[in-house]
Amino acid sequence: MITVENVYKAYSNVQAVAGLSFEARRGEIFGLIGPNGAGKSTMIRMIMNIIAPDSGTIRFDGEPLSEADKDRIGYLPEERGLYRKAKLGEVLEYLAAIKGAKPADYRPSIDAWLERFGLSEWKLRKVQELSKGMAQKAQFIGAIAHNPSVVLFDEPFSGLDPLAQDELLAVMVELKQKGVTVLFSTHIMEHAEKICERILLIDKGKEVVYGSMADIKTRYGHNAVQLEFDGDASFVAGLDFVESVVSYPRWIEVELKDGADADLLFRAIAGRLKVRRFETVAPSLHKIFIRIVGGEEAQNVQA
Amino acid sequence: MSRLKHVIRHEFRLAAANKTFVILTILGPFLIFAITVLPALLAQSPGSVASGKPLALYGAPPAVEQALAAAFSGMDIEVERVDDAAAAKASVQDGSRIAFLSIEPGWPDGGKAVWYSKSGAEIALYSSASAVLEAAARETRIVESGIDPALVAKVLSPPSFEVIKLDKGGAEEARGSDSFVEALMTVLVFIMLIYMTVLLYGQMIGRSVVTEKTSKTVEIMLSSVKSRDLLFGKILGLGLAGLLQYAVWVSMAFLLKQFVGPLLGLSVPAGISVENLVWLVVFFILGFFLYSSAYAALGAASEDEQHLGQMAWPLIMFLIVPLVMISTLVSNPDSTLVVVLSLFPLTSPIVMLARVLVSSPPVWQLALCIALLVAAVAGTAILAAKIFRVGILMTGKRPKLKEVLRWVTVK
Repeated sequence: MITVENVYKAYSNVQAVAGLSFEARRGEIFGLIGPNGAGKSTMIRMIMNIIAPDSGTIRFDGEPLSEADKDRIGYLPEERGLYRKAKLGEVLEYLAAIKGAKPADYRPSIDAWLERFGLSEWKLRKVQELSKGMAQKAQFIGAIAHNPSVVLFDEPFSGLDPLAQDELLAVMVELKQKGVTVLFSTHIMEHAEKICERILLIDKGKEVVYGSMADIKTRYGHNAVQLEFDGDASFVAGLDFVESVVSYPRWIEVELKDGADADLLFRAIAGRLKVRRFETVAPSLHKIFIRIVGGEEAQNVQA
Repeated sequence: MSRLKHVIRHEFRLAAANKTFVILTILGPFLIFAITVLPALLAQSPGSVASGKPLALYGAPPAVEQALAAAFSGMDIEVERVDDAAAAKASVQDGSRIAFLSIEPGWPDGGKAVWYSKSGAEIALYSSASAVLEAAARETRIVESGIDPALVAKVLSPPSFEVIKLDKGGAEEARGSDSFVEALMTVLVFIMLIYMTVLLYGQMIGRSVVTEKTSKTVEIMLSSVKSRDLLFGKILGLGLAGLLQYAVWVSMAFLLKQFVGPLLGLSVPAGISVENLVWLVVFFILGFFLYSSAYAALGAASEDEQHLGQMAWPLIMFLIVPLVMISTLVSNPDSTLVVVLSLFPLTSPIVMLARVLVSSPPVWQLALCIALLVAAVAGTAILAAKIFRVGILMTGKRPKLKEVLRWVTVK
């Protein structure tokens, strides 16, 4: 569907994208993941042909992106904005019309999405009256109202409350079920983990991990333990078979060294902590990211 | 093409479907009416200020009284002889008489003539009185000096002199002394109209482009349409709104001239002719495209509206120059300086329009002016498209001139 090969892009003194290659397949949810400033937006803008790469190729079904292809794509830019003085309904119709959609198709679609996101009564109001969260949802509708077969969402969850974020995740899964190819970027690994089939994890414009979520989890082993407890667990990090520990507010994730067994950890903590939950898990994406790029970089990333 | 159509429609709607536009479109003709016709209306019957009140006259010789009565009857003012100067002054103060003219015995070469009124501002009235008195005094003095009045009249009678405007077709049109003022008025109205609308629409385009950047809509637009379509859609959409406005104004002016004017018995200035209205629209269209392309380029290179305002100043200067020179334009429309300005594209829409209104510029100059304007519009539009394509995505910093020039050379 979308094939990116060895793409480079530099701004005046920053190498934003340094040799990325990946493929988003038809009908899948593909996640472009990385900390702020990793080059995600630059990559998506280049796919959308808003800016041109310095070198490398980006193809759409094997061909360079044409003006006609743009009609099949729905794009949600990172920088959100709608014509503030115009009415919401008019703006959405305009956005669909310049995608070449027919009024008979986009009118019911716009109404249905407005209804879905609880914005129906705002249709005749001016955009500037919308709250920030509503404007975000409105822009999302603007990206999908013309029924595209491919959608590119750049940081779709930013600025949304947790409830709205879940709503959006559900919509993205629905789009996939209808056969739409979904490519989105995020710095929130948890979102990617919930819905992505395949991901490209990048940092400083370079690939960190690429592949299907299942493969990545297998590659990095089921060698972690999530531990919920009462007491002081600071000694765990010092155990000789423990590779690293990530602390969350109410629990810790312990990564074990190769060859070490979860039983070993269980015996070591027996009697020293009051265990509430002990679960062997595949490491989270966040954990994998930290392991590969090191803790310092990973501070820019949310678990 | 269909994308361009949607952009044009959207921009037209944004520009035309708001209160300011509707109010300006409707009030425009009334403003023009107020500027052009009202002064003529007032000048025709200065007596209307007197509202039928009489003028008190004290101590005038019978010949002077008759001359005054004749002069003021044309303004519907009756001249009343009074014997009590104090009572006459009081009647002026209480408003029952418009003014009081007191002529002392021995006038003109002994006593004084004094005009008393409440405001001292009814120039039309006391200048007529002063003219009558001047003629009477002259006559008295001539008679007293023993010279034959007939001889004096012959010596002083003005020689024959006429002003005739020769237009292109060879037709002759007599021009009175009023025609200069009338021409000045018409030119003033027309070029103010061009100046205001070109400036207004240029700024609207500039703002619209900057807003595209500041409101972050540009990326979503560029994901659907080419930057060129977005730029020209804006220019054409706003241009249509401007043309609609002109269509309303021009047809109102035409109706005024053809029907309303004759109905009310007003003389509409001869400058408001179909031919001149056509020239007005032609120069508006050319001026609009030139300035709006330039403004679009400036908007794309600006960081925000404030920055745009600063950058637009040199451009606005070219619009203001002809306004400052308006009296030269009207009194000396074929001087070298005016001819040069009427060919230079940034000033020609206003200056050439003024020349067309007051004289008959050679056809080659008109053709050259329009050719240069069209070429300038094309050049500016190409330049604007290049600056727009790169500049529209630049946010957060003010580009230097060198940088902008580099955008132009990018292929």
